[in-house]
Amino acid sequence: MESYVVKKSNPIINIIVGIFLGIWALINLFPIYFMFTFSLKSNAEIFGENIIGLPKEWLWSNFTQALGTGNMVLYFVNSLFVTTMSIAISLMAAMMACYAITRIKWKLSKLTNAFFMLGLTIPLQASIVPVYVVMSRLHWLNKYTTLIIPYSAFALSMAILICTGFMVEIPMALDEAARIDGCGLFGTFFKIILPLMKPAVSTVGIYSYLQCWNEFMFANVFISDSKHRTLPVGIKALSGAYTTDWGPIGAALVIATFPTLIVYIFLSRKIQASFIAGAVKG
Amino acid sequence: MNDDKRKKKEKKKADIARGLTIFVFLLPGLLLFVGILIAPIAVSIDRSLYDWNGFSPGTFIGFNNYVELFTNGSIKFMTSLKNALILAFFSVFVQLPLALLLALLLGRAETRLNRAYLSIFFMPVLISTVVIGQLWLKIYNPDYGVLNRFLDAVNLGQLKHIWVADPKTALGSILVPTIWQYVGYHMLLMYAGVKGVDIDLREAAMLDGATKWQVDRYVVIPIIKPIIRVSVIFAVTGSLKTYDLVRIITEGGPFQMTEVPSTILENMLFLRNRYGMGSTISVMLILLCFAFALLITAAFREKDE
Amino acid sequence: MKIKRLASIVMAGVMTLSLAACGQQTAPADTATPATDAATEAPAAEQPAASDATVAETSSDEPISLNMWCIATESDSNRHAYEAAIADMQAAHPEVTFTWEAFENQSYKTKIKAAVSANEMPDIFFTWSCAFLGDFVAADKVYCLDDAYQNYKDELPESMLGNTTYDGKHYGVPTTMNIVGLFANMDLLAEAGYTEIPGTYDEFIECCDALKAKGIIPFGCAGKETWCVTEYLESVIEKSVGADALNDIFLGRATWDNQGVADAVDTFQSLVTNGYFDPSGAGLTNDEVKNNFMAGKYAFYMNGTWNCADFAANEEFFPKVKVGEFPVINADQASLGQLIGGPSDTLAVAASSPNAERAADYAFELGKLICHYGYLDGCGLPAWTPYGDTSSVNELTQTVSEIVSKADKFVLFGDTAMSADSANTYLSYVDQVYGCQLDGKQFIEGLAKDIQ
Repeated sequence: MESYVVKKSNPIINIIVGIFLGIWALINLFPIYFMFTFSLKSNAEIFGENIIGLPKEWLWSNFTQALGTGNMVLYFVNSLFVTTMSIAISLMAAMMACYAITRIKWKLSKLTNAFFMLGLTIPLQASIVPVYVVMSRLHWLNKYTTLIIPYSAFALSMAILICTGFMVEIPMALDEAARIDGCGLFGTFFKIILPLMKPAVSTVGIYSYLQCWNEFMFANVFISDSKHRTLPVGIKALSGAYTTDWGPIGAALVIATFPTLIVYIFLSRKIQASFIAGAVKG
Repeated sequence: MNDDKRKKKEKKKADIARGLTIFVFLLPGLLLFVGILIAPIAVSIDRSLYDWNGFSPGTFIGFNNYVELFTNGSIKFMTSLKNALILAFFSVFVQLPLALLLALLLGRAETRLNRAYLSIFFMPVLISTVVIGQLWLKIYNPDYGVLNRFLDAVNLGQLKHIWVADPKTALGSILVPTIWQYVGYHMLLMYAGVKGVDIDLREAAMLDGATKWQVDRYVVIPIIKPIIRVSVIFAVTGSLKTYDLVRIITEGGPFQMTEVPSTILENMLFLRNRYGMGSTISVMLILLCFAFALLITAAFREKDE
Repeated sequence: MKIKRLASIVMAGVMTLSLAACGQQTAPADTATPATDAATEAPAAEQPAASDATVAETSSDEPISLNMWCIATESDSNRHAYEAAIADMQAAHPEVTFTWEAFENQSYKTKIKAAVSANEMPDIFFTWSCAFLGDFVAADKVYCLDDAYQNYKDELPESMLGNTTYDGKHYGVPTTMNIVGLFANMDLLAEAGYTEIPGTYDEFIECCDALKAKGIIPFGCAGKETWCVTEYLESVIEKSVGADALNDIFLGRATWDNQGVADAVDTFQSLVTNGYFDPSGAGLTNDEVKNNFMAGKYAFYMNGTWNCADFAANEEFFPKVKVGEFPVINADQASLGQLIGGPSDTLAVAASSPNAERAADYAFELGKLICHYGYLDGCGLPAWTPYGDTSSVNELTQTVSEIVSKADKFVLFGDTAMSADSANTYLSYVDQVYGCQLDGKQFIEGLAKDIQ
C-alpha cells in the first residue's frame, strides 16, 4: 500500500501535467472567447489597441446586421431542420436494418452488415458527381430533401454500427417471449425492440449531428438559393459580403455556434456519455 | 406423411414470410445506401472513362482521364495528394498522440477539474468547421490578426508571417485548426476506452510497483488498441476528404499549393464542366480510402502478432 | 471555334468606331432626353422603347411575371444601377410582375450552369459574353434576340453585340463595357517625386523603384482571385507582343507556343521578383485589396474600370486617384491604344421562358436603363448610345472614355474569351507564374500542351 502511495504522487510531474492541461484548455477556449468579443466590437476596436479585451462599447448592432441582412435565423432553422430530419431518417432506417441483421437468422446477414460498413470509409465526395447530375435532371436541387436524403445515407453506416452494438445487448429471450405471446416480427420490432433502443437514439443522434451540422461540400454545391441555405453556406456568403467589416461576421459566427455550445454546457455529461457509449458499442 | 408435407409447406410459407420481413426491414436502409452511395460510385467508375460535360452523352476515352490527372500541369492532382498525405501524417502522429495523452491523463481520476477539462476539450468538435475556418482566418490576418500582433507584442516580430498566403506556412495554417478541432473527438473516443479498463487491473499493476505511466503503457494502451485503430482509420480517411477548411482559409492558394483532392474535384465540376474528370478523381479517392483502411488494419494486426 | 472567330472579327474591326463615338458623346451630352432621342432617331417604327412612359401603352397589357438572376449583390458596384433601372421598369410596366435575385459572382457561375443543364433558368439572366454565353447558346438554351433587336438598333450599335453574336445571330443585351485601367494613388506617387503616371515603361520601372525605396508598395493584386492577376499579366503581354497576337492566341487561332509571350511573362515575373507586388496580396480577395488601395497601401492598382464608381464614391480617396494606360514595353509590336477589355456584362433571355418574346423586349429596355445608370454611376462605359445629362459622370470615368476613344484595338479578358475548361487551365498557369513556380517558357509550353 505504501509503495502505491509513494509512486502516485510525483509533485513535479503533477505540476507539469496540470500546466499542460491548463494551457490546452486555454487554447481551446481562447478562439471561442475571441469570437464572442469581436462580434461586439467595431472595426476601430478590433484593428486598434483593444484586440483581445472585452469590448469597450458593446455593439449589438452587429447582431442586428447579421440577423437582418445576414439572414442567420433562417439559416439556423434550415440547418436544424435538415439535421433533425437526417438524423430521424437515418436512425429509423438503421434500426430497421439492424433488426433484420441481428435479430433474424439468415444466411447473408453478416455479409449485408459488412456491405453497410463499407460506408464508413467511402468519402462523401465519391458520389457527388452522379448524385448532382441526377438531382439536377430531376429538378431536385434547392430543396430541403436535396440535402436530407444524402445526409441520411451518409450517416447510415455509423448509425447501423452503433445500433448493432446496442441491439445485441437486448436479450433474445425477449423476442422469443413476444413471439410466444403472438407477436410477429413486425410486432416484436415495434413493441419490444424500439422502446428498448432509446439509449441508442442520443448516441446515434450525436454522431449524425456532428456529420450533418458541419457538412459543407454538398450544401455548398447543391443549394444555390438563399432560402434553403444551411449555416455553413450562409456564413460563407455573409463573409463574402462583409469582407472588411469583422463585427457582423463575428456576430454570425456567434449565432451559429453559441446555441449549440449552450445546450452542450447543460447536457455535457449526457452528451459525453452517449458519445462514449458509441465508442464502446461500436 | 401428410403431416410432414404440411409441415414442409408451412415451413416454406414461414420462410417466405421471413424473407419478406427481412426485405421490408432492410429496404429503407438499402434504398438510401445503394441509391446515394453504391450506385453513384458505380456510375462514377463508368463515367471516369469518358470525356463528359454533365449533360451530353460524352465520348469514351479509356484511361485518358487517369493519365491526364497526372500529366496536365494545370490540374494539381499530385500536389493535392501530397497535401492530403501531409495532413494524414500530422493527424496520426501529432493529433492522435495528443488525444491519447489527454485521454490517459483525464482517465486517471474522475475529479471535477478533469470533468471540466473533458467538456472543454470536446467543445471545438461541436463547432461548425466553416465557423472555425472563419475564426482562424481572423486570427491569421496579416495586419489585424491576433497571431501577428501577439508576436509583435512579445518582440518576436521577425516570426511574423502572412500566414495563409506564404507558401511556407499556408498548409500549416490549415493543419493547425484541423488538428485543434478534432483532438477532442479522438480524445473522447479513447477516453471511453480508458474508462472501460477494469479498475482492479490498474490497481493490481500499481501494487506491483508500476508507475502511472507504466500502467498506461503496458495495461491501458494494449486494451484500447481497437479504438486507436478506429481513430487512425478515421484520421487518415478524414484527411483524404478534407475540404471545408481549405475552401474557407486558402481557397487552394497561394498558387494552388494547398489544393486537396476535394477542391480539385469541385473545380472540375463547376469551373471547368469536366464531369468525367471529376468522376476520375472520385474513383481515385475511394481507392485511396480503401487502400489506407486495409493498410492500417493490416499494420495493427501485424503488431499484435 | 466558329463562334469565337466571328466574335473576334467583329470585336477587332468594328468596335473601335462605336467606342470612339461613345467617347465623343460624353462631353456635350446635356440636352437630349430619352424621349426626344428615340423620337428623332427612329420616327418610322412604333418604338416600344421610345420612352419609359410610352412603353406601357404599346406592349401587351396581359399580366405576366418575369424573373431575373444577376450578380449585382449589395457590395457590387453595379447594385445601384440595377436598383434604379428596375424601379423605373416596374413603374413603367405595372403589368409585369418582375422579381430578381442577386448572387455572389463565383457561386453564380455554378448556379447558372446548373440551372441551364436542368432547364430551370430564370426568364432573364446575367451572363458574361463570348465563351461563357457561347456554351449555353451551343446547347440551344438561349432565346435569339434578332427580332427584338430591330426595335433598338438605333440606340444600341450593332458593333457592341460582337461578343454575343454566334453564327450571325444575336443572343445578348450588353449593358456596360470595361477595360483594364492603371489606377494610381497620386499622393503616394508624389512622395516618390512623380506628378504624373509615367508614360514609358522604363520610367514606370524607375517610378516603382523610387516607390519601393520610399517604403511604398507599388502594386496591389488579389492572389486569391486569379482573374486579378490576369489584369496585370494580360496588359504586360499585350504591350509586349501586340493586341493582334494576343487576340489570336485567346481565340484559338494561334498557339500559345510564342516566344514573345514567354518573354512577356518573364517581364511580368521580374515585377514580382523585384518585390513590386504586395506579398500579402496572395492571400487576399479583390475586395480586400481594393480597400487597401483606397486606404493608401499601394501606389498602383490595375483592375477593371468598373472600380471608378467606388473610387468616386469615396470622398477622401477620390481626389488622390488617377487612371491611365499601361505603358508600352515593346514598341516594335505594341503601341498605346491597345487595351484589354470590351463589352462583357450581358443580359440574356432563356429559350425555356414561357414569355420569351416579351422577356426579350424587357431585357433590352432594362439593359438600356442599367447601362444608363451604370454609366452615370461610373461603373463602366456605356454599350448603348448615352442619353440624358451625362455631365455628372465622374472624372475618372471620363478619363477612361478618353483613353477608349483614342484606342484602336481591344483584347477581351482571357478568361471570358476562352471556354470554361481552357480558361481555368489558363488561370491555373497564371497563378503558377505569379507564384514563380513556372517561368515564361514553361508557361507557354504548358499551355500549348494542356489547351486543346
